[in-house]
Amino acid sequence: METIKNAFDFSDFPRIDLSIAGVVLVYLLSFPALQLSSFAMVTMIQFLMFSLYGMGWNTIGGYGGQVDLGKAQYVGIGAYTTAVMLIRWDIPFWVSMPIGMCLAVGWSFIIGYPLFRLKGHYFAIATIATSLVLKDLFEVWDFVGAARGLEISPIKYHPPDFLRLIFKDDVYYYYVILVFFLIGIFYINWFRKSRLGYQLRCIKDNEDVARSLGINVHLAKVKTYAIATAFVSVVGSFHACYIKNIEPEDTMSLPISILIALMAMLGGAGSLWGPIIGAGILIPLKSYLKEWLGATAGLVGIDLILYAIIIMLVSAFEPRGIWGIVEKMRRRRRT
Amino acid sequence: MDILLSSIVAGLLLGMVLAIVALGLTIIFGVMDIVNFAHGEFLMIGMYTGLLTAQATGIDPLWTLPFAAIVGFLMGILCYIGFVKFLLRGPMIAQLLGTFGLMLLLRNLALLIFGSEDRALHHGILVGRSFDIGMGVILPATKLAAAGFSVVAFWGVWLLMHRTKIGKALRATALNAQGARYMGIPTERMNALAWGIGCGTVCIAGALIVNFWSVSPFIGLLFTMIAFAIVALGGFGSVPGAFFAGLVVGMITEIPGFWDFLTYTLDWDWMANVPMTSFKYMWVYLAYFLIMVFRPRGLFGWKQ
Repeated sequence: METIKNAFDFSDFPRIDLSIAGVVLVYLLSFPALQLSSFAMVTMIQFLMFSLYGMGWNTIGGYGGQVDLGKAQYVGIGAYTTAVMLIRWDIPFWVSMPIGMCLAVGWSFIIGYPLFRLKGHYFAIATIATSLVLKDLFEVWDFVGAARGLEISPIKYHPPDFLRLIFKDDVYYYYVILVFFLIGIFYINWFRKSRLGYQLRCIKDNEDVARSLGINVHLAKVKTYAIATAFVSVVGSFHACYIKNIEPEDTMSLPISILIALMAMLGGAGSLWGPIIGAGILIPLKSYLKEWLGATAGLVGIDLILYAIIIMLVSAFEPRGIWGIVEKMRRRRRT
Repeated sequence: MDILLSSIVAGLLLGMVLAIVALGLTIIFGVMDIVNFAHGEFLMIGMYTGLLTAQATGIDPLWTLPFAAIVGFLMGILCYIGFVKFLLRGPMIAQLLGTFGLMLLLRNLALLIFGSEDRALHHGILVGRSFDIGMGVILPATKLAAAGFSVVAFWGVWLLMHRTKIGKALRATALNAQGARYMGIPTERMNALAWGIGCGTVCIAGALIVNFWSVSPFIGLLFTMIAFAIVALGGFGSVPGAFFAGLVVGMITEIPGFWDFLTYTLDWDWMANVPMTSFKYMWVYLAYFLIMVFRPRGLFGWKQ
């Protein structure tokens, strides 16, 4: 009971935050009714997916301060589990998603256990290495389609198929991911006030102090890593049903991992709203830039150049992200 | 036996070349504790510099080395003063993502300017020549020259670090930046110099590699990861460590060759069916992972 109350309790935020969040929520709920272009719809679904990825990353990277740049491998595990189970054995999404989650979490224990002996840069680069190993394996593994990837053909099923999550219209996908998104917010809201959440923030500030307070640092990190993994793999499963065509290159490559970390960091790592703000800025920017600059002028890669400049500016001048700026302004007003 | 011997030789030659790629990374990491994701991109710049100067002026690609070194040195210092200096103030995650942004920027600028197609050198004193030293071992002249230059470059950097006053200042900065500052060493300038040397050596490596490896804007990441593995194995910040680790990693990339050797000698059918060449670089990543887990200090490292 206490847990549920905690999850829905947002009273420690200022009222203005909550009213903005309420307006955004109403907008999100009524978004399909606005009848905007299908491109806007795709962007919006991408936004929700990446805010969820970012929220997952935020638990370990933001609250825990452990920079993980290998999240894409769990996107891949989730996506491949769902796709393989659907194609080979016709297992619906709602069964394969938890299985994918278990697989991803199991894998995260296997590699998280030795990896968390490392700190800082060493940890970050080692996560990249594991991610690349897994991607290389998937690229030659025939069972999962090797480098060609897998394709879920929607013709075999009769959309709208709520069990297998095969729809013709993006609106259904939108509401499914929106529900996940809301659950994610409530979960993180509970998480940041839970025992583990406080332990993590202590670890981030000073690991030796945390250890002297009797916190099992290693176990706390591994547990949080598993939570982050669960988030990412659920969205990965959704990704498989939504995109319907998955390849190692676009589910497991390094840019995805970096993008996930970047979302959270641009918005403000270690805060509830940070990843959502980050995704809300970067995803529309990315897809519209690509649409306007990449396609029309024939300038390949110019969207990524602007993107890179944003990353560089944020990391050089405001590493605490947009939420950091907001908090700084608030503190100044108070004094 | 021929396969085994030629694999070993090829691994050692490639290892020496890879070692010089990693040299810059280990210098930069040693001096200021920053992981440079853009390292492979500097290699790419070196490759393009070598290729384009050779094509534009008509001189042999081997003589473009000094030019590549100067370009790399200036670019490194520019990057430090214009960007990395600001990163050093921030937390570690900002440094990681910041250099990643630099990598993305350089890669896509290259894509915009040079286009996405693979380019390779077709002319030159060394290109296409090789020496057959018997026993089935063939030494391509380009790789031999690259390996030779790599040894020379290592020797030069080692002398610079251990026999000159600037090297002493660099090592002092690496050991304890604050202490070095109290002793009157201009640590900012030392950091800039480390970036200059690091990027200069990697551009030299690029100009050497372009003799036998075609260049495209996307080549950077592979070399960055290989360089990470070498630096991790050799110990972050260790120059001799980078050289020996380079040899080991060169051997690791030749694992498919050893596999072939085993397949022929043992004559087991299932071994021939394993697509070993597709795993070529996976072994490097795996080695990196294992090194990080079991010996994070590396072979010669003194930083933990």
